[in-house]
Amino acid sequence: MEQNNYNYVKAELPKSVGKTGVAFLLVGIVAAILAFVLEPARASFSSLLLFVYLMGLGMCSLFLVALEYLTDAVWSVAFRRISEFMTPLIFIAPLFAIPVLFNMHDVFHWSHGEAVQTDKILQWKSPYLNMSFFLIRFIAIVGIMTLFFYLIIRNSGKQDKNPDQKYTRINVKLAAILIPFFGISITLISIDWLMSLEPHWFSTIFGIYYFAGSLLSAFAVLTLFSVKLKEWKILPDFLGRDHFYNLGAFMFAFVNFWAYIAFSQLLLIWYANIPEETFWFIAKFNGSWKYFSIGLILVQFIIPYAALVSQPSKSNYKRLKIMSVWIIFAHLYDLYWLVMTTFDKNGIVFGWIEIGFIILGIGVVLLLFRFVYAKRNLIPVGDPKLNRCINFHI
Amino acid sequence: MRDYSIEPSVVEGKPTFRQIDELIGAPLEKMPDKKFYIAISITGTMFLTGIICWGLSFYYGTGLWGNNNPVGWGFPIVNFVFWVGIGHAGTLISAILFLFRQRWRNGIARFAEGMTIFAVMTAGIFPLFHTGRPWLAHYLFPLPNDHSLWVNFTSPLLWDVFAVSTYFTVSFIFWYVGLIPDFANLRDRTKNKVKKVIYSITSLGWRASNRHWQHYELVYLILAGFATPLVLSVHTIVSFDFAVSIIPGWHTTIFPPYFVAGAVFSGFAMVQNVLIFVRKVFNYEKIITVDILEKMNKIIILTGSMVGYAYAMEFFIAWYSGNQAESFVFINRAFGDYAWAYWIMVSCNVIFPQLFWIKRIRRNIPIMFIIGVLVNVGMWFERFVITVTSLSRDFLPSSWAYYKPTLIDGGILIGSFGMFFTLLLLFTKSLPVVSIAEIKSVIDGAQPTHHHKEANNGK
Repeated sequence: MEQNNYNYVKAELPKSVGKTGVAFLLVGIVAAILAFVLEPARASFSSLLLFVYLMGLGMCSLFLVALEYLTDAVWSVAFRRISEFMTPLIFIAPLFAIPVLFNMHDVFHWSHGEAVQTDKILQWKSPYLNMSFFLIRFIAIVGIMTLFFYLIIRNSGKQDKNPDQKYTRINVKLAAILIPFFGISITLISIDWLMSLEPHWFSTIFGIYYFAGSLLSAFAVLTLFSVKLKEWKILPDFLGRDHFYNLGAFMFAFVNFWAYIAFSQLLLIWYANIPEETFWFIAKFNGSWKYFSIGLILVQFIIPYAALVSQPSKSNYKRLKIMSVWIIFAHLYDLYWLVMTTFDKNGIVFGWIEIGFIILGIGVVLLLFRFVYAKRNLIPVGDPKLNRCINFHI
Repeated sequence: MRDYSIEPSVVEGKPTFRQIDELIGAPLEKMPDKKFYIAISITGTMFLTGIICWGLSFYYGTGLWGNNNPVGWGFPIVNFVFWVGIGHAGTLISAILFLFRQRWRNGIARFAEGMTIFAVMTAGIFPLFHTGRPWLAHYLFPLPNDHSLWVNFTSPLLWDVFAVSTYFTVSFIFWYVGLIPDFANLRDRTKNKVKKVIYSITSLGWRASNRHWQHYELVYLILAGFATPLVLSVHTIVSFDFAVSIIPGWHTTIFPPYFVAGAVFSGFAMVQNVLIFVRKVFNYEKIITVDILEKMNKIIILTGSMVGYAYAMEFFIAWYSGNQAESFVFINRAFGDYAWAYWIMVSCNVIFPQLFWIKRIRRNIPIMFIIGVLVNVGMWFERFVITVTSLSRDFLPSSWAYYKPTLIDGGILIGSFGMFFTLLLLFTKSLPVVSIAEIKSVIDGAQPTHHHKEANNGK
């Protein structure tokens, strides 16, 4: 096959990306600091929410990169960098976990020594749910995932200068090794930071639930950036509807996957009706949470399902843009539902604190994109599969 | 070494269309040879053993089986779940990999889909007999009847009836639609008058016109889209049979995805095993290449690891939950009366497939065959462990009992293998086991798409 005939010219990102990012970040930081001063407990929950969101996004973006190498996917080669740009979240997101570590008592019931003393079940769990092991797991996961991030992304970058296939070959191997580590890590993150918010509750599917939502958000962020870059005419012309169709199809597939996992969990717990498990869902039907819980079905399943089910909608740029924004917030809705029901059991709490942290998160993602974009190529110009990607047709 | 800049060939050695027609049509044009008769007499004998045992069960009742109180679900449910699981690989290959546009699936899709149909047929017999009154099987359907007797709509066992029958119907139609262009091909090639009439009817007047192909491809895509959620729903609902109950070891939320992964796992091992013979006997080595087998082995290690993840989660949460009954069941599985079955399951499902991390083993046919067999043994034991260990150690220690299958149970199990392989053997001699039309579309240089000008000019 002929050599890669695509000539990559780096285009300037619109200034608004960086400006919005800075503005959001500053507003977010001010709001976060104020929140921690005024209402530390509530702020900790919001910070935790931001951490699990961004951590899942970062890890699943790395997973997407690995998936491309493993499955020998072609259509996604020119999109891969956008996912790569999101992977530094693996070590940025933990920054938002640190304030939570200083407010453990407000967030995690099991961190109270006295509460554990009088509670047989928490005593039983204490070999797992204790501060030191919790920290060890946290550091180990961030460390291992950062290591994989470093190795895989570095090889991908090196290939830009030296289009040698050996980098692809090494990354395929690294990607395969990543998968088991990734599976265990994302499960432990979900158990430690989300499931243990209600330390008496347990569900074996929970890790997959968090994975499903996070992967969905990773696809949505990838799609949103792709469509925006296309709008700004930064993305090369060869990326057309056939390529975007895949993004739409995968978002649609993972909307269904998330719904499948969520439904399995709900149905099995509802059907068996064992009080040890049902109390978790019952608590999510307290007061105004009831409407919020029912809304989740609509927000993260029915609406994106209906919007993406038809074939043309999967490659309609406008539809993709709207739905990717929608899904990004739907996953936030989902995580908010998991986290904030522990903070206030009586009803929805939503105010400037929560909004402040969301703004902070958007600022982080935008600035991250802006800075990594400035440093690296948007198109992996040395990738041996790039030419096949250019010629990709459904 | 692999060159990533070019698309790997699916079919080796650029055969012409004519060569493909002749290669795939050959087994249908020759009388069965000695090997075929030997094979079918073995599977036929196994099948007959099963028929005798089914007949005895029909006449004397289910008392001939090892099922006791508390183990009311013995071999029949184990075998049912096992065979339904085998069917899943076929749909995964033919429908899901089709949606993922995996061209390598073209060479094996027909055969795998056939295995789905036969596996589901085999599976269906078990619940039928397990009802104890198979002659009242129609009561499983919500039919208006004399006694105004309705089915229990809230029972997953009933959802199974709907799910499996829908799945079978859609799989069968999907399979048949895929066969239409091939029937037309055989009709045009055959010189036998009887065959010509049969193929003319079954090919539904196919003339391979552009419009026929357009309709065909649309229907094929839609059916693949239908089959995908259906196949997931089937083993999901099978898992509900267990997981909606409150039996320790059954009630765990990971069951649905875990069962689906396990089903694909065992199904792929079975397809891989059978294909190894098919490619050898019919000289399909260039169509069903080692590359394809290697890809299947990769899926085996992936799904095997998913199953391993589920085992680990179950074990961990059984401890984490602090629920005594749960912890007891899992410790009992690993160290109790059925520890032997448990360790067969763990080693065959989680440990041995990990050998596929090594490329040389992934491409070594004898070793992959052995691992495939072990996977199927392991997956059969998985269903055994889930069903039997949980029931034999119920909440009430006074009613604990050890489950021991009888000879009749064994005969039925052998019979199910006999039935499955007999049907497969008949299939290999009556229908093209590789899709002629689909394989032609993935030969190097044959690009049936309007995007490639060279291919169009060539015609």
